[in-house]
Amino acid sequence: MKMIRAFIRPEKEQEVVLALEGAGFPSLTKMPVFGRGKQKGLTVGPVHYDELPKTLIMTVVDDKDLDRVLEVIQGKARTGFIGDGKVFISPVESVYTVRTGETGL
Amino acid sequence: MKEITAIIRRDKLPVTKKALDDIGYSSLTIQSVDGRGKQKGAMCAEMDSEMPDSFCTSAKLKPTPAAYALEHTLPTVALYVPKRMLTLVVPDDVVTAVVKAIIKANQSGKRGDGKIFVSPIDGALRVRTGERNGEAIA
Repeated sequence: MKMIRAFIRPEKEQEVVLALEGAGFPSLTKMPVFGRGKQKGLTVGPVHYDELPKTLIMTVVDDKDLDRVLEVIQGKARTGFIGDGKVFISPVESVYTVRTGETGL
Repeated sequence: MKEITAIIRRDKLPVTKKALDDIGYSSLTIQSVDGRGKQKGAMCAEMDSEMPDSFCTSAKLKPTPAAYALEHTLPTVALYVPKRMLTLVVPDDVVTAVVKAIIKANQSGKRGDGKIFVSPIDGALRVRTGERNGEAIA
């Protein structure tokens, strides 16, 4: 299994989440975060924003679904401008459901 | 080393911390997050599941209140349930014990108890002393 951590524009969050739900991946965790990227923030006229608000969407999927989920996320979160965000993928060895104590998604 | 990410109910946090203290792995990071699972964030689904079947038939309340509410919710709104996310990094040999302790503290048998993810961690550094890997989390 793989954990996907997607840093996306906060205004795109609803679109991404509903698209994931439509594709059959309703489970996720989201949290508001602040960060900056290569451009070291954003300069608008004389004002420099060092940290920009983003939404972090975290979800765990089976290996075979990975590409599909990434496609959905990119399809909805992409605007073509800097600041669209990044997606990080990391391995997950096991998953437990607390209610039943069983392993597996 | 393994990273254990547990997403649990907010009110179970003190119990979980106590349980982790008891087995000696009390270092953890806590985050306040919003989440949704297979029920798509519908907390009412839990209420529905606890309602006796006779309620629906006798009161002629089909569909159930939660299903009704969901149907009449705007389709463009995603629902979330507030949760707490705990992150612990522990040595390989105690992963099972820690997972069991978290499950025992949080198991209520109802939907929404949470999930636990175990993933590998390649390295660690204790900032104060410069210790690496195993010593850093000891």
